[in-house]
Amino acid sequence: MSNQTIVQIHNLEKKYGKKQVLHGINLEITSGQIIGYIGPNGAGKSTTVKILCGLINDFEGDISIFGKDLRTHTLEIKKQVGYIPENAVLYESLTPMEFMEFIGEMRGLETELTRSKAEALMNIFEMKPNLNQRISTFSKGMRQKVMICSALLHNPDLIFMDEPLSGLDANSVIMVKEMLIHLAREGKTVFYSSHLMDVVEKISDRIILIDQGKVIADGSFDELNKLSNDENLEKMFTRLTGNTNHGEKAEAFINAFEK
Amino acid sequence: MIKFLLLLFKPFRWFIEKMGADYNQFIGILQLKLIMDNRRMKGIGNNSKKETENALIKQSFGQIFFGIFFAMFLIIVKSPFTYYYFAHTFLMAMMAMMIISEFTTILFDTSENVIIQPLPIKGNTISLARNAHVLLYLSLMAFNLSVISIIVAIFKFGIVSALVFSFTICLNVLFTLFLANMLYLVIMRFASGEKLKNLLMYFQIVIAILFMLAYQLGVNMVDKTLIRDMVLPVHWYTYLVPPAFFSGLVEAFTSFIFDYRHLIFIAEALIIPIIAIYFTGKYLTPVFNRKLMDLEQGDRVSKVKVETARKSLWYRMMLAVFVQRHEEKASFKLVWIMTGRERLFMQSFLPSLGFILIMVAVQFFRNNSFDLNELVHSSRYLLILYAFMFIGTTLPTSLLNGNNQHATWVFKTVPLSSPADYFKGFIKAAFARFFIPFYLVLSVVICCVWGYRIIPDVLIALLAIYLITMLFYYSQNPSFPFAQDKIATQGGAAFLRIMGLMSIAAALGFLHYFLLRWFNFANLLLIPVYLIAIYYVNRIYVYKKINWEEVDEVNAYS
Repeated sequence: MSNQTIVQIHNLEKKYGKKQVLHGINLEITSGQIIGYIGPNGAGKSTTVKILCGLINDFEGDISIFGKDLRTHTLEIKKQVGYIPENAVLYESLTPMEFMEFIGEMRGLETELTRSKAEALMNIFEMKPNLNQRISTFSKGMRQKVMICSALLHNPDLIFMDEPLSGLDANSVIMVKEMLIHLAREGKTVFYSSHLMDVVEKISDRIILIDQGKVIADGSFDELNKLSNDENLEKMFTRLTGNTNHGEKAEAFINAFEK
Repeated sequence: MIKFLLLLFKPFRWFIEKMGADYNQFIGILQLKLIMDNRRMKGIGNNSKKETENALIKQSFGQIFFGIFFAMFLIIVKSPFTYYYFAHTFLMAMMAMMIISEFTTILFDTSENVIIQPLPIKGNTISLARNAHVLLYLSLMAFNLSVISIIVAIFKFGIVSALVFSFTICLNVLFTLFLANMLYLVIMRFASGEKLKNLLMYFQIVIAILFMLAYQLGVNMVDKTLIRDMVLPVHWYTYLVPPAFFSGLVEAFTSFIFDYRHLIFIAEALIIPIIAIYFTGKYLTPVFNRKLMDLEQGDRVSKVKVETARKSLWYRMMLAVFVQRHEEKASFKLVWIMTGRERLFMQSFLPSLGFILIMVAVQFFRNNSFDLNELVHSSRYLLILYAFMFIGTTLPTSLLNGNNQHATWVFKTVPLSSPADYFKGFIKAAFARFFIPFYLVLSVVICCVWGYRIIPDVLIALLAIYLITMLFYYSQNPSFPFAQDKIATQGGAAFLRIMGLMSIAAALGFLHYFLLRWFNFANLLLIPVYLIAIYYVNRIYVYKKINWEEVDEVNAYS
């Protein structure tokens, strides 16, 4: 499956009312890659991810995933896709096992297979004892772990992650980073949307930077670095998004509240 | 509107400060709460957020409408003391129910604590603002419920009497708020965390059923002429009954009687609510707040019982009977599990089962007598069986209620061609879990009274109820279960739909009755008709009615 085009986005545009959020995004993503999708707040990262996962249907432009048109083959595409949303909101009165059984059944997995997978995945996060506790009693990080496990239950070929590390403890963060690298090695494609520059820099094969709904940089960190000579992704990010005067802003901020 | 409401507190600044609160902070918190209420979201569409600023107005009309019915009952009462006694009792009962059913969430809402608690807010300010918030809604509700009674009082007893009555309504509101605080503190004394929430929920359900029972007793068993000429006697214990203080005060100014009896009532009516509200502000609210914080902390650690649906024989039987398509199975199971745990669902649905029990009991004890022989030879069992139709409207609306607006994204991410399969599973699970057992048990009782000859009628009524329930559920907005504010599910369109479907239900009942009278076994004709109708609704109608476009319009996926 290596180097096959998995996602093709042509001239993607999206409006919320009169506000244009995405301005003609063009991308081609091949298999076995971890794509770091970064950008400032409100740049359109989550909107892109939601469109690609089939959560938002009204968009302009063409998207094909696994060679199929997203608009006409949504179901076939969804079967091969896993999604971890930005906010870990789940039906609170369910237990992780019940939630994953639901996901498994909707994805056509045998109940016993779902259960054994759920146990194994949750065990890795040291959450096996919590499998039959209600989600309402969980912390944010624990909910996030449930979400990660449920997104991977059906062994998807393409995984969309919107801030997947949010709320996770340090050990879990390291574990998820390693897991993503392993998944990519197995030929899975990971579309990773995040604000955490250091993580994106370390794990991504390719970094896509968007700002105000447009792609402003695209390439591996080394390629981008050669062009810009920034010492790290954070510096590159601030320069490309036009926010280099952080020192002045910090000073103005302090002045404002010390008044 | 908000500014006007906040201005109402200005004359009481001294009192609020005397309670140990900072007035400006008090107003600030209250303003925040009112703004948030005003922006309470209705059906949150995928891309468009509709705000229901007029939700409160709609609710007010419902309350005024309810008040009309009560005023119609009061209009026949001759004695002013009795008139105002009933009016205040009704108001107190309604407010108590409202506090328990609607304001529990407001009183127990700790969501703003994360913002407000770290701020240097003085003493009692937060708790007082919370109570003031409830007080505003209670006052609005009390006014809505009483406005017609006040108008009736103008014509019956004069303008002064009506004005004094309005004043006593304010006192009644203050006193009821005190009682509610006391009640909650007593309950919190005995339970905490999940247990407390469950206890409150069952308490709310029992209160709602008792209220319905009281209404049915009042309507069916009390002689109207007795009420008309009723003059309530004043015993020593009458001085301990809160509605008596208030009605005594109004009567004193209506008939200009200021004897020792009325003076006691006046003193009680004026002093007790003031002391009660002072006591609430100064002593009860801080304790309440402390308990509330314990509750919030306790929630993280409280253990909850988790039952597995898969082990239940009843679940497996119902799954086999109701679910034919694989796609429905998952949603059937999901709702089967969640209906047993979602408090808002149980709170709004379980009282309707109680109402049905009461309606059934009323048929047995009609005209204040119980004549089994007369009963067996009547067709009254049809009235009982069709009383269950009530479920057809309450079950679908109750399924909407919940706080899971942002958890519905999960339905959109899994591959499913038609969302109708989800919705079929949802309603079938709720119907099978809560209605079928209830219906079966009561059917056995009914069959014991009327004999096995009515078994076909029991089956026909069940099919009719199932059909109506499906139709009602599929015709309402396709919102995923447990994902709508309770207030948002009570719109005018829903009311019209309820009325429309209840008319259809009544027509089906009459049709059944007519066929029974026409010739022997004519009622059996209904069985194939209903089976075909159910097949059509579940196989064709639902797929036409519920599609992704409509579902996306009313659900939020993030």
